[in-house]
Amino acid sequence: MNLHSFLWTLKSPAVNDDLSLCVCVQYCLSGHPTLPCNVLKFKSTTIMLDCGLDTTAALYFLPLPLVHSPRLSKLPGWVSKDGAINLEKELKECSGRVFVDSQPEFCLPEKELLDLSTIDVILISNYHCMMALPYITEHTGFTGTVYATEPTLQIGRLLMEELVTFMERVPKAQAATCWKNKEIQRLLPGPLKDAVDVWSWRKCYSVQEVNSALSKVQLVGYSQKVELFGAVQVTPLSSGYSLGSSNWIIQSHYEKVSYVSGSSLLTTHPQPMEQSSLKNSDVLILTGLTQIPTANPDGMLGEFCSNLSMTIRAGGNVLVPCYSSGVIYDLLECLYQFMDSANLGSTPFYFISPVANSSLEFSQIFAEWLCQNKQSKVYLPEPPFPHAELIQTNKLKHYPSIHGDFSSEFRQPCVVFTGHPSLRFGDVVHFMELWGKSSLNTIIFTEPDFSYLDALAPYQPLAMKCVYCPIDTRLNFHQVSKLLKDIQPLHVVCPEPYTQPPPAQPHRSDLMLELQPPPMSYRRCSVLGLPFRRRYERIHLLPELARSLVPSEIKAGVSVATVSAVLQSKDNKHVLQPVPKPAPVPPSKKRKRVMEEPPEVLNPKPLLSGAVPLEPFLATLHKNGITEVKVEETADGHILHLQTEDVLIQLEEDATHIICDNNEPLRTALRDLVLRFLQKL
Amino acid sequence: MDSDCLSLLPAVCLVLADPKQSPPDDTSLEKLLDWFKELHSQSNGQVLLQHQPCLLEFISNVCTSKTTDPAILSFTLKLTGLLAATTQGFNLLDEGGLLVYVFEREAWGVCDLWEDASVRSGWLQGLLDMLKHQQALGFICGNGLIKVILQLQNDRSLFVACLANQLLVHILNFLTSSNMTSGSDVVGSSESSLRPDWVSASSEIMNAVVEALSSEDCPRVLQGLRLLSLVLSQCGEPIISTLWKDVLVPLEVFVNRGSESLIQTLITVLEAALGTPLLSQSEYKVEELLEAMLGDGNRKECFQCAALIVKLEKCPEVLKRKATDIILLPLQCVSTQPQAEKEINVVLKEQLSQKASCISLLMQSLSSLAQLAHTKYLFEDISIHSITSSVALLLRMCSGHCPSSLLHINAFTHLIGCCKVQRCGLDTLGALSVYEENLDLRKDIFGVLLDYLQSPDSHATVLKKTFQAVKRWIVCSPFPDLLQFISHDLFPVLEKRMCDLRWEVRDSTLEFITQLTAALNGNSGFSEALHTSGMVSVLLSSLADAEGYVRASAVAAVGEAVTASFHQTVLVSNSKLLEDALMQMMAILSQDTEGFPRRAVVQAFTSWLKGSHLIMALESSLSSVLSLGGSDFDWEVKMHTLELAEVLMEKTLTCCPYAVQNFGSSEETRFTQALIKFKDFGLFDLLFNSLFDCDRPVCEKACALLVKLGTLTAETADLDHSILVLNVCGNRWGDEVQRRYLNKQQAKASVCVTNGVTGSDEGTDCDLHCTKDISLPKILQILDLDDMQRMLTLSSDHVVNSPRSLMEDILSAAQQSEENIVDCY
Repeated sequence: MNLHSFLWTLKSPAVNDDLSLCVCVQYCLSGHPTLPCNVLKFKSTTIMLDCGLDTTAALYFLPLPLVHSPRLSKLPGWVSKDGAINLEKELKECSGRVFVDSQPEFCLPEKELLDLSTIDVILISNYHCMMALPYITEHTGFTGTVYATEPTLQIGRLLMEELVTFMERVPKAQAATCWKNKEIQRLLPGPLKDAVDVWSWRKCYSVQEVNSALSKVQLVGYSQKVELFGAVQVTPLSSGYSLGSSNWIIQSHYEKVSYVSGSSLLTTHPQPMEQSSLKNSDVLILTGLTQIPTANPDGMLGEFCSNLSMTIRAGGNVLVPCYSSGVIYDLLECLYQFMDSANLGSTPFYFISPVANSSLEFSQIFAEWLCQNKQSKVYLPEPPFPHAELIQTNKLKHYPSIHGDFSSEFRQPCVVFTGHPSLRFGDVVHFMELWGKSSLNTIIFTEPDFSYLDALAPYQPLAMKCVYCPIDTRLNFHQVSKLLKDIQPLHVVCPEPYTQPPPAQPHRSDLMLELQPPPMSYRRCSVLGLPFRRRYERIHLLPELARSLVPSEIKAGVSVATVSAVLQSKDNKHVLQPVPKPAPVPPSKKRKRVMEEPPEVLNPKPLLSGAVPLEPFLATLHKNGITEVKVEETADGHILHLQTEDVLIQLEEDATHIICDNNEPLRTALRDLVLRFLQKL
Repeated sequence: MDSDCLSLLPAVCLVLADPKQSPPDDTSLEKLLDWFKELHSQSNGQVLLQHQPCLLEFISNVCTSKTTDPAILSFTLKLTGLLAATTQGFNLLDEGGLLVYVFEREAWGVCDLWEDASVRSGWLQGLLDMLKHQQALGFICGNGLIKVILQLQNDRSLFVACLANQLLVHILNFLTSSNMTSGSDVVGSSESSLRPDWVSASSEIMNAVVEALSSEDCPRVLQGLRLLSLVLSQCGEPIISTLWKDVLVPLEVFVNRGSESLIQTLITVLEAALGTPLLSQSEYKVEELLEAMLGDGNRKECFQCAALIVKLEKCPEVLKRKATDIILLPLQCVSTQPQAEKEINVVLKEQLSQKASCISLLMQSLSSLAQLAHTKYLFEDISIHSITSSVALLLRMCSGHCPSSLLHINAFTHLIGCCKVQRCGLDTLGALSVYEENLDLRKDIFGVLLDYLQSPDSHATVLKKTFQAVKRWIVCSPFPDLLQFISHDLFPVLEKRMCDLRWEVRDSTLEFITQLTAALNGNSGFSEALHTSGMVSVLLSSLADAEGYVRASAVAAVGEAVTASFHQTVLVSNSKLLEDALMQMMAILSQDTEGFPRRAVVQAFTSWLKGSHLIMALESSLSSVLSLGGSDFDWEVKMHTLELAEVLMEKTLTCCPYAVQNFGSSEETRFTQALIKFKDFGLFDLLFNSLFDCDRPVCEKACALLVKLGTLTAETADLDHSILVLNVCGNRWGDEVQRRYLNKQQAKASVCVTNGVTGSDEGTDCDLHCTKDISLPKILQILDLDDMQRMLTLSSDHVVNSPRSLMEDILSAAQQSEENIVDCY
């Protein structure tokens, strides 16, 4: 329907910025596909989506031994071949590679791309994706709120505390910074030479910073709708990846952005992924797909068990470097069933971490966040995870550290689960030194975050067997294509690596996202204008105003009414209120405050609809004595030149203009002729 | 038995013809028909109808009844056909016009019954059974039944249509053979040599085939083609050539049109034609048609056609070569680089770009190739070397490896992780091991197979196929080169697979090791590798697996490993291995909760005993195995134990080195010594206990062994009975022996009393019941083993399964239903 504006101009109300058409922008602060950190500017809110910490930078550093290691302490310092650069104190040569001898540092999300103090909220999708939180909340002027589920907060806290403990247990007196000098770095041997953004690397935060950062977390439950300033609503949905892991829906009344990060469709311990709510998204930001798309988790689990079993049968020990929460629960469950069937029931498992106890206990109490199968156990009542039974039967023992009770109770052959998977800090360093020399022992890598060859580099030469069974339960490309077919977002935004086959397998076109329209890709420091424009805004009519409307049907099923009202905008909510009636003029003689009275509200002129047909209109003009009319066809309609009267009438689809010089009676007469053809509202 | 049944027949006929009775179930009626068939075959010219007039009455009643049940009518039609199969029977039925009455459906009391498919089927079956003589043929032709049969050829019921086709072929065949036996022309004679009334019948049938083939209605065409293929495969001349001349034109049309729905049936027709003299005559164009079906490999259907032609047994070589070239195209297209000069097959490329058709084409290609390899087919235009490389490459592609030069076909992504193609490809690769030309590809092939064995993503069924392929390649390869591969590459993977999470994989790994060890039996290099690589200890630890099937396979594998160990130069570890194996196996036999491992243990002993090396070493365990196995609650364990006993008996009695060493020179002494040995092993306890077992096969087997023993005992004249005395007290079989003996004694005594005879020469036997010990020959005599064996050979349901019981069932069911009716009132 076209409203015909005829000699009538709509006077727009005072338009709020939000009501104007606007663009949604995404700032990409991390290029790491599984440790994302993006900022979304959407409807006047600034939302950070995850703040993952890239700990792979630690691989450039020497391991932090928990017990004095003669091998590591005697490493030669690095001096350039010509002797010009001497960094003996900062860099050590170990097994043919050069490592930084300092407390390991981590690569932070980009801080320079936008002012992080303007961030209103941070949405966390899972506990692995919040490890950079203290760097963001404590040193940027951040004053907003962090939203996360309870398991995410609690387990995230454990992981942070563990990281801090690992670092603080082995203090390093010096911090190495000279090597970061650009001129020096380019002369260093690889891979140090190729490390990027080294100046943005930071040491680990402190417990105080962790506590302060986590105090800003506001807990949310799945499907809970959280209003942000009345402008947008955010909702966490189960993502099926880990305890409390979430995808997020960020929506206004007419726009919907879905943030999918670290999701899994496999049946493991967490609640299954909620998919249907992701439907009808304008934009879907897709991160956190599996890092090892060629490794099927089931196959890897099988590989893990058979290698473990082979080692134990041969009298060796198994070392599993892992995070203290996550896949370890599934590994323990799998081993719980496997060990008896493999006749290895008497082999002890040790779980060594400063937070081992809390991790095992927390997993048992978050019943509502678990898969249905495990939830139902709670009502029996039974512990949802079988590791409780392993602990009870003394098959699984956990210790905060290798010091203390562990050393007296330690029995071999055994299986040890301990961190950190980078092999640069934590109790795992000790076991590498202890078991590395025997070919009977095996190290089995299950965490996909680190290249196992790089992780092992400072321990070479190594006699122990190495098995790489990365278990990554996150969505693979096949699953994600199926998911996207189901939920059909209009546009997909994803990290750049997802848009091309893995570099090592350029022929695997099945290991990339092939979508129509093609996904928008981003890398670190990209700024993307998301491909949708906001066109509508919801405005509420007050009932009394609604009652006053008089709709008139302009065609079957469509009625139109004019509204005169005052638009009130507050907290991003818009309400149309009736126009206040002018106060009755007091019978006062004084008329001093004329200026303060509300403006006189005139009844609006009626709206017109319809079209002015050319031939009948010419006939009408003729009937009214206007005979000399020259008609000219234009792109939008016609121009009629009344030659005798020297008047132009522009007939267009949605407007008619009468242009005549100072002949008001003629204009009025012509206007009335035009009005005959139009319908008044 | 039959006379008993015949006496019941009138009553049964009455019940069956009684419309108030609900008919017996189909199975009973079929069994009854079977009995009639048996009677008919044993009749020796006697005609059942003459002695059983109730049958005529029954047939007549059923056909005239207004309320006949379709099942009874169908039965009657079949019965009539059966009774009319002899000329006498036919005449008896025909005399009163009964035959026409039965097969003329308009004459039936209820015409609507024809709507029931079982009735139509019974009608056809009746005619088919009847068609054993010329009178029957005359009856069919004379009464215009051919027309009805032809209609039934397109019946909505597939069973009826199929039966109609069979009947038509039978008629045609009968026409030809009657013609031949009547002494007229031989094969190849013209139609005119047939009797005039039969010419019209045969031409009616053949015209119907031609009409069907000219029809636009696909199901009708299909039926026509089916009949044609039956005629070609079952009829002789001149029918075949006459018919072929008429159908050649429509056949050419079908072939050129390339209709997908007809391909399979067309090929069946052409396959049948290949087996006839038509092939040798070029004017019949059999080969030409097949070649036309293949086209240039540019039609969608040609691959299916080629796959079918490759399977044909009697196929002209030229045609087979062409089909082979075509069927290999999908495989070559996917796994070889395109040659610029070679025209790209657009149809094939399009089919390969779609997942479903790509997989199905490749599987057709692979399975045809495997079939060709099984016959060691000699490829001409393409080297077997390159074919084998293609299969290996395809298998690599299935596990995600693909050289970039092969990405011209968009098939790669369909293949990754596709178990179907993997399994099929592995089968084919295994089959290709028969070609000596492939020997130099061995390294590459073993590389592919090893990748599959190592891949964590290999499905359990894929691994099984991989094992089969590995075995085939190992067995056919010269061995010394392989030792390195086996001990350095294969064994570590097997060791890991034996720790697999999936029991199926552990099981197939152990099965593979067993098969490989057995296949390489006598190969000292392999045996040595098996022992020195630590595989044996892994096998021993698998005996404690949590899964029963795996334990069973581990038992078999250990068994083979022990056997193999005795082929190599004596190692210190051999006796240790046997000791460990025996200890664990005996533990399994006595304690394992599942049957499979226990069965495997007994089987392992049997196989050891069959070999000549191990008898001495096993002696100490044998009596335990016999005792444990014989008292097992699993009947199969008991059966295997009896098989072990059989081998033990054979080995001991047939002068095995072990037996000779200890025994004296004379046959008799040796036999006695052997029996004493059996007694020491507890063999007699096993046999006698098994003889009275609750499972019939066990009793049967034990009985057979005892009969054998009894024969030997009887043959040995101077056997010293006193040495072979067995204690019959305190066990079940002993009680049974005593009971039987007493029964015999009492019977004998009563005979004596009746005859007025007192005393007996066998007076000493009267004391038997109070003695504990009886000699073996005596026991065998008391048991009357021959009678026992005869009873045991009858199936356990022989009583309830007899025709008599069937008839009694029918009668009593009728009686009960009558009683029920009374009850209702």
